Amino acid sequence: MSDMADIPHLLLVDDERSIREPLAQYLTKQGFRVTQAGDAEGARARLNAYAIDLAILDIMMPGEDGLSLCRHIRETSETPVILLTARAEETDRIVGLEMGADDYVVKPFSPRELAARVKVVLRRTAGGAVRQHAPEAGSFAFAGWVLKTGERALVDREGVSVPLSTGEYNLLHALVTRPRQVLTRDQLLDLTQGREAAAFDRAIDNQVSRLRKKIETDVRNPEIIKTVWGGGYTLATEVTRL
Amino acid sequence: MRRPGPTSLPGQIALLVAVALFVAQALNFALLLRERRAFRFAEITLPAVTRLIDAAERTTAPRPVPTRDRMRGVRLVTDRMPALRGEPERDVEQAIRAGFADAGIRPGRIAARIRPIDEAEIQERGIGGQRAERLRRMGAVLDAAVELPGRGWLVSHTPWPMAERGLLWQSLAQTFILYVIVLLPVLWIGRRIAKPLRRLAVAAREFHPARPLPAIEPSGPQDVRLLISAFTDLGQRVNAMVDEKDRMLGAIGHDLRTPLAALRVRIESVEDDTDRARMAETIDEMNATLDDILSLARLGRPSEAATDVDVAALVDAVVDDFRDLGHDVDFVEAARVPLHLRPNLMRRAVRNLIENAIKYAGAAEVRVETGARAVAIVVADRGPGIPVDRMDAVFDPFTRLETSRNRETGGIGLGLALARAIVRDAGGEITLVNRDGGGLNATIRLPR
Repeated sequence: MSDMADIPHLLLVDDERSIREPLAQYLTKQGFRVTQAGDAEGARARLNAYAIDLAILDIMMPGEDGLSLCRHIRETSETPVILLTARAEETDRIVGLEMGADDYVVKPFSPRELAARVKVVLRRTAGGAVRQHAPEAGSFAFAGWVLKTGERALVDREGVSVPLSTGEYNLLHALVTRPRQVLTRDQLLDLTQGREAAAFDRAIDNQVSRLRKKIETDVRNPEIIKTVWGGGYTLATEVTRL
Repeated sequence: MRRPGPTSLPGQIALLVAVALFVAQALNFALLLRERRAFRFAEITLPAVTRLIDAAERTTAPRPVPTRDRMRGVRLVTDRMPALRGEPERDVEQAIRAGFADAGIRPGRIAARIRPIDEAEIQERGIGGQRAERLRRMGAVLDAAVELPGRGWLVSHTPWPMAERGLLWQSLAQTFILYVIVLLPVLWIGRRIAKPLRRLAVAAREFHPARPLPAIEPSGPQDVRLLISAFTDLGQRVNAMVDEKDRMLGAIGHDLRTPLAALRVRIESVEDDTDRARMAETIDEMNATLDDILSLARLGRPSEAATDVDVAALVDAVVDDFRDLGHDVDFVEAARVPLHLRPNLMRRAVRNLIENAIKYAGAAEVRVETGARAVAIVVADRGPGIPVDRMDAVFDPFTRLETSRNRETGGIGLGLALARAIVRDAGGEITLVNRDGGGLNATIRLPR
């Protein structure tokens, strides 16, 4: 009965001790094993020393920053990464996701939310097989539309961008990254929850019908987001990564 | 009111120089004319008068009728009043009258006229020799007639210089040549000064403190060059100050967020759920305020590019986010309206208006009205509205209506200031109007 093997091992890298230490404490209480590092150098040493299941990296660090460390991790291993960013500005998100981070939280964040996301990312990447190798950033073209992840915007044929609410964006993102897969409501809820707290209480069906109104030519006869009898929803169109 | 005449620097200088040149030329001309007149009086009028007086004295003398020769070109016409043609010459008439008065002769009517004479007339009259030559040279004839009461008229013909008219033309030609020689260089130098000044004015008008000042090539005279380089220095100092401000704000943002983040992590250990929730709320509020301050301060140089955006979908998306958080926001669906703007900033502006409505009224009704020239995003509530005398004040940063006694509904009043700055940046305007039956209508009007 060695519990140690089942407990996810997190590497927490932040130069701010005032954040790092209480956060490590909290995450330990939540049932994770937490190793701390105060800079990128220490983080590299610990990555080599331990079998780390997930790394939480602060972007703004003196010396080598979190983005560079994230790129290093992505180049050398499959270890998932969650970034801590001080700014909610779009550029940080885009760059972070382009560097291959699996998720990010904006400071000041709720430790509960971080723990929830850690769990979602771990579940998503469990066993290494399910992990999405492609970074989440970029653009997805489908049925005449382009979903731009960096700007979180949907662009139509005429180049006019159609802003999406957080819930709509998360749902559409889940669908376009898994075209022609049948996704159950539970799966969709799981996939959309991880990113922002907003969509928690919203029924998936409601979001689907909102999305259909925006992208389908005939809402009563949907061609893009199809309902699968007894199963859930599927994106019934080719998706091209741009 | 616009002054008449040219307003540009070269135009004004040229006009001034032209007027000055003209006045100088006119004075010159007048002096020259006076001199000519004096000369003519001495050389032509006086001898002519003398001959007439001479002739008059001879005719009154008791001797026999003099011959034409002795009369020195003066004829006595006895049968009729001589018909004179040409322009009357009052100066000569006066000179004759004065001369006769001096000589003690009382003449009757006096006439003096000048008419041009041409080659044909000289030939026809059979004038020859020196006299013809003089006539040709002078180009005109002074015909003078003096009535000697009871005896007839004394008539004389004297060659008269026509040069006076030539003088006028000569003067005009001279002026014209002066104009060409002086005005062209004046216009050129004026342009040399005015052109760089004009470029400087354009650069100054287009100067945006947050954008680097485009290089202005110093040109023109030294003073203008100095001005241009001084302006460039000034612009660069302003740029540097704004850069410095941005760096400082970034540092402040980071330095405040870090302790906030630490605090946010630490409160997780608070056992009491209500307490913890309140603390988290306060931290979120502080963070939101910090965000607003930084956004407002940085609005001069937005990092986001403007794109074509469906405004109806934008408002719809913001409303949906509010509904996700469980707020009561009513939205009337609208047709697609593409506008060119910065979508994330505009989301922020709309969100701030809806947030205010929710703060003060607990609910909001949102609609998008599309006109031919403009699109209006209307956020209406049934809250207390705003006293009319405070309508403008609510847009000032850090202003809060004192009617909101509740700390929770307070904020620090950055929301509207930020929203207005964003909307103005997009070329639009926000207006607030109290609704009939209570409540407020906040309208974002954007040009199409």
